Amino acid sequence: MLKYIIPTMMLMPLTWLSKNSMIWINTTLHSLLISLTSLLLLNQFGDNSLNFSLTFFSDSLSTPLLILTMWLLPLMLMASQHHLSKENLARKKLFISMLILLQLFLIMTFTATELIFFYIMFEATLVPTLIIITRWGNQTERLNAGLYFLFYTLAGSLPLLVALIYIQNTMGSLNFLILQYWVQPMPNSWSNTFMWLACMMAFMVKMPLYGLHLWLPKAHVEAPIAGSMVLAAILLKLGGYGMMRITLLLNPITNFMAYPFIMLSLWGMIMTSSICLRQTDLKSLIAYSSVSHMALVIVAILIQTPWSYMGATALMIAHGLTSSMLFCLANSNYERVHSRTMILARGLQTLLPLMAAWWLLASLTNLALPPSINLIGELFVVMSTFSWSNITIILMGLNMVITALYSLYMLITTQRGKHTHHINNILPSFTRENALMSLHMLPLLLLSLNPKIILGPLY
Amino acid sequence: MLGLCGRRLLAVAATRGLPAASVRWESSSSRAVIAPSTLAGKRPSEPTLRWQEDPEPEDENLYEKNPDSHGYDKDPAVDVWNMRVVFFFGFSIVLVLGSTFVAYLPDYRMQEWARREAERLVKYREAHGLPLMESNCFDPSKIQLPEDED
Repeated sequence: MLKYIIPTMMLMPLTWLSKNSMIWINTTLHSLLISLTSLLLLNQFGDNSLNFSLTFFSDSLSTPLLILTMWLLPLMLMASQHHLSKENLARKKLFISMLILLQLFLIMTFTATELIFFYIMFEATLVPTLIIITRWGNQTERLNAGLYFLFYTLAGSLPLLVALIYIQNTMGSLNFLILQYWVQPMPNSWSNTFMWLACMMAFMVKMPLYGLHLWLPKAHVEAPIAGSMVLAAILLKLGGYGMMRITLLLNPITNFMAYPFIMLSLWGMIMTSSICLRQTDLKSLIAYSSVSHMALVIVAILIQTPWSYMGATALMIAHGLTSSMLFCLANSNYERVHSRTMILARGLQTLLPLMAAWWLLASLTNLALPPSINLIGELFVVMSTFSWSNITIILMGLNMVITALYSLYMLITTQRGKHTHHINNILPSFTRENALMSLHMLPLLLLSLNPKIILGPLY
Repeated sequence: MLGLCGRRLLAVAATRGLPAASVRWESSSSRAVIAPSTLAGKRPSEPTLRWQEDPEPEDENLYEKNPDSHGYDKDPAVDVWNMRVVFFFGFSIVLVLGSTFVAYLPDYRMQEWARREAERLVKYREAHGLPLMESNCFDPSKIQLPEDED
């Protein structure tokens, strides 16, 4: 595990000690090399996890998330280069340090064995993200957004701390590898009900669950591009990952405790998809689309069947790449027009045709077109929820239709039609932007050739 | 498309008095023509075409000073190196070598072994007349239960 942590830590002296002209080159180069080494985690066994030490382990659930985390850092650096070009050098280096710190905490979160260590790192990821949103966001609303983000997550996770300490006292250990074998069925009582809620609420807020999702549109919209990318691609998945781990301890009361949350998610995914159809702000549309996709993941995790877990893991990875790409595309618009309003920069296909190709691919994967991994994830979830209860297929089907509607609406509004006269002299796409989009899309397309690595521990 | 970009860049160059095309070029596939501008060298008193309607004071056009900009940096040398680093390390090393690594992973999660082992066991059990699978996971005679406490 140190082979990931130490290079990531050393990226910090790399940024601070590089020559002024070389900071972006050095950090991008070395973070790409670190992402190459992350593929070594794929040496997974069929019946056990890859246990590095007493503190770190990685199994088939955390491996794809780790690879995604380490892949995203160079992409975040490339995406931020333009809007930071005006800042002074110390601020640029500080921004890069925040990204690296976030990466470090995320690596340690996904590989933590001790659940308290996981909790500490889970909370620690809030700090660099808050700094990135509130310091480098573009509008005054960013302060409110940071507040919502911080306090929603904190309020949800403080009960988790209490619950974890209680489990440590009763079970004797919070080491996840041991807990797997020591776990006893949890009898039904009022205190266990609250224990279940305490364990799960942190992750529900993070996912986010439909009723607790207010922080997400604010935070995603106000964050700078790197912040939006990491929020959408990884930080939401922390909730899914945590839920998958903690449900191990919470059986069998999950069978009935999960009902309100399944209902909220099933209804919420349709509501948020419908809200997407009414959005004028491009980033807000993508943020609500994230809520909708994550609601599918919540349903999948709560019904706890092998196929639904496979679908949840696949959907998390697929959504991470797709959503991050959509935010990068929205940012490429924003850097030219300085507005997030969709109709302000429309008809872009005639002006920027290659970027229109990326918009098309991103929208198609967002609406889960076969044979992308988005479809694999959604299909597994739809099938498993159908076997759990036949009626859910109506809601799932409706959600897929509305998802297709708003993805195509976003595509058509931004790309098709006559372009407005005031944007006919926007700059052509940079190589950097095209490289960024292809670095998002190519792993997504390659994974559809070999999806077994993202199907999680129940494959 | 090329003509469109070329004409736009030429217009930008012309209003800023930069040396524009010196030979006449006609596209064979479209009707695009790039001709030496009669305004070359002569700076107009006031630019008739601003490249933005409401320019942000701090907005910078990277293509202005460096028409071959890749979008990374103002300095053309750093820009080219950054582009090379991203493409070489991002695509040629990580995507290519990484996909090769993933494609040739040996028996991920022992699926192929499991299939072979299952076929071997079925063949053995059928040959020996044993049931293919027993409902008991462990041998019941070996399980020691605690004494009944009443």
